[in-house]
Amino acid sequence: MQPDIFIISEELAWPLAVLLAWLAGEFAHRWTGVPRISVYGLVGFLAAQAFPDLFTTDGASSVTMLANVAFGLILFEFGYRVNLHWLRVNPWIALSGLFESAVTFGVVYAIAHWQGMQPLTALLLASLAMSTSPAGVLRVINEERSSGQVTERVLHIVAMNCVLAVFVFKVVVGFWVFQTSGSFTQAVSHSLIELCASAVLGALFGMLVPAVLRNLGTLARDGTVAFALVVVLLVAITHAADLSPVLATLTFGLMARHRRVSFTRTQRNFGAIGEVLTVLLFVFAVSTLDWDRVLAGAMLGLVLIVARFVVKVAAVAVFSHVGGITWRKGALIGVAMSPMSVFVVLVLEQTKSMGIVLVDELAALAAMTLFMEVIGPIITQRALVWARETAKEED
Amino acid sequence: MALEPFKQSSPLTMGVELELQLVSLSDHDLTGASPDLLHLLQRKPFPGNVTPEITESMIEINTDVHTKHNELLAQLHLTRDTLVAAGDTLNVGICGGGTHPFQKWRDRKIFSKPRFKEVSALYGYLAKQFTIFGQHVHIGCGNGDDALFLLHALSRYVPHFIALSASSPYVQGGDTLFNSARLNSVFAFPMSGRAPFVLTWDEFEHSYFSKMEHTGVIKSMKDFYWDIRPKPEYGTIELRVCDTPLTVERAAALACYLQALCAYLLDRKEEPPAEDDYLVYNYNRFQACRFGLDGTIVHPKTYESLSLREDILTTLRRMDLYAEKLGGSAALNHLVQVTHTGSDAQFLRDQYNGSGSVEGVVDAALQRFRGS
Repeated sequence: MQPDIFIISEELAWPLAVLLAWLAGEFAHRWTGVPRISVYGLVGFLAAQAFPDLFTTDGASSVTMLANVAFGLILFEFGYRVNLHWLRVNPWIALSGLFESAVTFGVVYAIAHWQGMQPLTALLLASLAMSTSPAGVLRVINEERSSGQVTERVLHIVAMNCVLAVFVFKVVVGFWVFQTSGSFTQAVSHSLIELCASAVLGALFGMLVPAVLRNLGTLARDGTVAFALVVVLLVAITHAADLSPVLATLTFGLMARHRRVSFTRTQRNFGAIGEVLTVLLFVFAVSTLDWDRVLAGAMLGLVLIVARFVVKVAAVAVFSHVGGITWRKGALIGVAMSPMSVFVVLVLEQTKSMGIVLVDELAALAAMTLFMEVIGPIITQRALVWARETAKEED
Repeated sequence: MALEPFKQSSPLTMGVELELQLVSLSDHDLTGASPDLLHLLQRKPFPGNVTPEITESMIEINTDVHTKHNELLAQLHLTRDTLVAAGDTLNVGICGGGTHPFQKWRDRKIFSKPRFKEVSALYGYLAKQFTIFGQHVHIGCGNGDDALFLLHALSRYVPHFIALSASSPYVQGGDTLFNSARLNSVFAFPMSGRAPFVLTWDEFEHSYFSKMEHTGVIKSMKDFYWDIRPKPEYGTIELRVCDTPLTVERAAALACYLQALCAYLLDRKEEPPAEDDYLVYNYNRFQACRFGLDGTIVHPKTYESLSLREDILTTLRRMDLYAEKLGGSAALNHLVQVTHTGSDAQFLRDQYNGSGSVEGVVDAALQRFRGS
């Protein structure tokens, strides 16, 4: 008989998994240089497959909540690094973002439809495939301390494709609600009103917080804590009011940047607490997936991943010369935009409460998510290294 | 490699080199943007010349050879506008200033070019803390003897250029209390400081350079980091003590002040330079770095204590006739204004007090460089 001490209770499962993931991440990063987040995802997936009962989460659990906060912090930082003025001065960047999102949407929908998927499900899948995981991209950029045009443009284009993905996804959901319930008002409130309210909420805080900080003067020269706490608040509000935390935290960062009180380099990733939450986020994101489904959807998932990759690389590269960079760097931007998982998982977790359980229905999505969570960051890292934008000491 | 002969050039022609900062517009830190920027600039003809510098967050521009203030200024304006437009296309901020107020030298990337790698290997952290930004002014000389005469005759005026150009009060996030902290980084190098007191090119070549070369310490003129050094391949002397000013207008004005001074000195109305002039040299230079226009210097001939601001104003007045002949009166007027309104270092400190952050200081420098 096993002594009690070997039985890992549910309360212990998450902290242990997170610790294990962190340790594995440190070792793997040191030995092979792979991005830490890839390892976090891998450990999370393995742990969840080994002990499926211990890692069940629903939308209301504290782990989901923490993961949302972690994602909110990353999105805030992401929004803070987007320069709207640049998008106006150099319109080719915005154009390439719109173009690659639209083509990705079209191609993924066409393939899914051709594979016999329901139109509505195919639309939801296509809208999610537009997005690149902002968490994956930002973590790799910060880990590599990269700087240059690939880095800058990836940040801007990813911000765009995420907003577009949320937007299209919500519109499709609204359409779905309209079809099933027949209520137009309910459909609109599930899409447009929700989107607008989220953005307005984020923007409002984005104006308020810098103003308060400015009035506090030199005492509050470091806004990190204030911004972090407001992100936590925003996530809680959006959670309670069924709004989009993605859009709210992203607009918060965007607005806070443009009404700036400066944010210094030492606070990248929100320091050590930000790191802790990131490990949790990446472990959580894949723990929701199921191995049988991943296997079942592997073929279609791989086809979609390859299609998405090719489309993104080509669609962004087309605009590189006219946008002021080399063809090579243009293509590398597309390559760097591979990761997609975390964003997808959190958007889906949120919609679960409405009865849309897309991951469960869509085996292909499960396969794509798992694959891109582990491999995506490695591809992004390679792209930055090939673009010679990483801060590695040269020999 | 023997010292090359001093190439004759038209006296009193001038050329300006400026080292500029490349700044991220997200966090205002330096950013390694020079490869992308240089790629974009190569697509169109550039007014003057642009080259990479030792770290990827720095570029250097230089002008053609000019004789008149308005022509020099026109080219600098064109260069600046071209750079600012390219920076806008790439989301990169470009600005002057002798130091970046808060960059951490550990974060800097060395531009991949063999000479830069060698320098980095030899000097260690000195190479990275050498992420500083200066203005160099070249003045054409008829022959090597004139060049060495000017080099030493100018030594008494070096503090003027330090104080008028000073724009590096902040280093690594803090106020150094210096107006030009940048020069402290230069002084750390073994071959920095003043040139040896030699007044003929022949003597310089045979009894100084060849001996130094024989010691193995230096290989070429490039290894000397002197405040003023002769540049035989151009036929010029190069003044290297100026911080890169926040505006190209000031850069042009400083060059024209130097041009007028050289014209005046070549008339040889002043007592000739002597080795003993250097007794007070380091002290005066320190005063200019530390206190800027408020410094007090000691006259090398009379040992009289002088307010640096007063000494500059007196000299500017004395240069009036020369500047008028050379077409540089506007430049001298600009510098008279500086002695009244304060240097760029003063401007940056005011910005810090206004915005409360070093990031705010960088933001103000970015706006000022654009001329908006």
